[in-house]
Amino acid sequence: MSTSSEIKQIKRNYLAAFLICVLTTIVATPLRQVLDLANIVMLFLLVVFLVSLKLGRGPAIMSTVLAVALFDFFFVPPRFSFAVNNVQYIVTFAVMLAVGIVTAHLTASLSKHAAIVLNREQQTRRLYELARDLAGAISFEQVSNVLGHFMAWSGHIAKLHLLDETGELPSLKFEVALTAVAHTSIKQGILVTTTQLTESGSLTQVFPLKAPHEVRGVMVVNVDSDAKENAENDNESLFEAVANLIAISIERLHYVELTQQTKLDAIAERLRSSVLSSISHDLRTPLTGLVGMADALAITTVPQNEAIHNSAIAIRDQALAMSHLVSNLLEMAKLQSGKVVLHKDWQLFEDVIGSAIKLLKPALTQHQIMVTLAPNLPLVEFDDVLLERVLCNLLENAAKYSPAGESIEVRGFINQNLACISVLDHGSGFPVGETEALFQMFTRAEVESSTPGVGLGLAICRAIIEAHDGTITAVNQEQGGACVTLCLPLGEPPTVNPEVEDSP
Amino acid sequence: MSSLGNVILIEDDQQIRQFVKAALESAHWKVFEAENGKRGLIEARSRKPDLLVLDLGLPDMDGLEIVKEFRKWSTIPILILSARIEEQQKILALDAGADDYLTKPFGVGELLARVRAVTRRRLQSTEVSPKICFADIEVDFTGHSVTRSGTPIHLTSIEYRLLSALLSNMGKIMSHRRLMQEVWGPNHTESAHYLRIYMSRLRQKLEIDPAQPTHFLTETGIGYRFEL
Repeated sequence: MSTSSEIKQIKRNYLAAFLICVLTTIVATPLRQVLDLANIVMLFLLVVFLVSLKLGRGPAIMSTVLAVALFDFFFVPPRFSFAVNNVQYIVTFAVMLAVGIVTAHLTASLSKHAAIVLNREQQTRRLYELARDLAGAISFEQVSNVLGHFMAWSGHIAKLHLLDETGELPSLKFEVALTAVAHTSIKQGILVTTTQLTESGSLTQVFPLKAPHEVRGVMVVNVDSDAKENAENDNESLFEAVANLIAISIERLHYVELTQQTKLDAIAERLRSSVLSSISHDLRTPLTGLVGMADALAITTVPQNEAIHNSAIAIRDQALAMSHLVSNLLEMAKLQSGKVVLHKDWQLFEDVIGSAIKLLKPALTQHQIMVTLAPNLPLVEFDDVLLERVLCNLLENAAKYSPAGESIEVRGFINQNLACISVLDHGSGFPVGETEALFQMFTRAEVESSTPGVGLGLAICRAIIEAHDGTITAVNQEQGGACVTLCLPLGEPPTVNPEVEDSP
Repeated sequence: MSSLGNVILIEDDQQIRQFVKAALESAHWKVFEAENGKRGLIEARSRKPDLLVLDLGLPDMDGLEIVKEFRKWSTIPILILSARIEEQQKILALDAGADDYLTKPFGVGELLARVRAVTRRRLQSTEVSPKICFADIEVDFTGHSVTRSGTPIHLTSIEYRLLSALLSNMGKIMSHRRLMQEVWGPNHTESAHYLRIYMSRLRQKLEIDPAQPTHFLTETGIGYRFEL
């Protein structure tokens, strides 16, 4: 990096060294009468020392040679000649030369070290500033800006590319080669240096952003080809430190975001469940009154007036149907609005099938229910309240869409690694080719039908079963009638220690 | 027919209160109404009730608090009225000492059946009958024997303990926790799935169709109940 001003400075140093030597000669000449030659040589030695100290190695050597020559010419007899009478002066000359060179060398390496120390100190200060700025950053953009600001002084350009949830680098979508390099860096967690990526063959350094928990992405530094010679190992370790700082702040931002999201989710969840439960309460309370009063009316009017009695029963049944609809709508709202909280437990199909049939008994009076459970069905992990709801919906559909007197079948069985329940009826079955659509909300087998319902049942079933990581499918049986099968993963049921019999 | 006793009815909705009162009166109960929890507790202290019918969702107090408060000084049956959505609250109320619950909406028949069940137990509990028969099963508590139409049925000791826990609380809903405590003792370490397994075995031995039980009923999400 020798510039013209530096060359001028060096020239000036040589000139100064020359002048000082000449000046010394002029000053020392009158002293020749007073001082011994040995002392005059000390004067020259001092000058050589000072020149070496201040003006650098080149002028030092020049001044040494010059001082020796001047001393020899003007002071050592025979004067005004380079001839030397006494061989001893050769030693003097050698010592002066040695002092000059050694001093110059020491000074030079000292000032070089000083420059390095100064540089280090600057780097440390900049790193400190970077760390301080990063600590205050509250978004990825700010981190990027802080990095840009830091890099500006070194003349490099650094860019950050972060991994998304799927482990891809979305900001590098169109740079296939760089993406490959970046993935290597991330996978191995090391700096990758390459010259292959640019046309000019300039150097690209890819640093992994290694945070305490995982690698968050890469920092790509493009080293200017002009500055290539100066891109020493020094910069490499500096950039590594920068990459670490950045990685830590990005991870911090990630967790801040996560915490905020969790907080928001919790608030939303609380709000949602309070809204749902107050709607539920407000809708159900009048229905409860209606059901109860109609029922009371029906009981008291039995002997006197059959017409009023029948109306009262109709009112009660309609109110019950309404309540059922409200339950379904609320249930769907709960399932739709995000995370379903499952209260899973290891339990038997038997319990929940039995309770669903019992719950629906009033609706199933026209049908005979046959339950077939495979022997030794294992414990399965599910939320019993929700699965009971699924079975109720399926049984209700089966009863609704099959003629009175036909039997409804419930089967529990194991299919490979799935625990399944099928509900089969002998009704009209599903419209051909539309079984998938039935699981959508507000879809019904018959669009306008006298059969009550709004088409939420199967949608609720699917939402619940999918929350259990299971599947639910509907098919028509060969011999007619619908068959809906739900399958839940078997998992690894807990063991049950056999009972130790102490008394018969 | 003379009155069966006093009922305190705590329910904030006037319509529901009206028909529950009418239904109970038709079954010869004397009903005292309260529209909030504070009033209900005052009524309960002054009327010497034989039954408490309580809505869980009251405007001024949590129904659960009332159950706890009430249980400090009284052992009379408590029947909870609640919406289906409050599964967890029902369990808490039952564990706090409530005897049974009714899910809204409910009919008069259901209400009276539950009331009969919780009060009958109270009448019986003074003197536990040594023999209970259901379907073709006969359970003899004095002889520790169970027979079907005269043929002995072998029960393991856990199965027998479970059976007697259910039978001695006939008609009453028993939470999983409560049953686990009664069968395996207060310091049990077994998880709830043990209960489900033994319940299933009991049904295999004593029910005609174990998958559609008529006596050993599942109260989904809450526990089990034995009904005659």
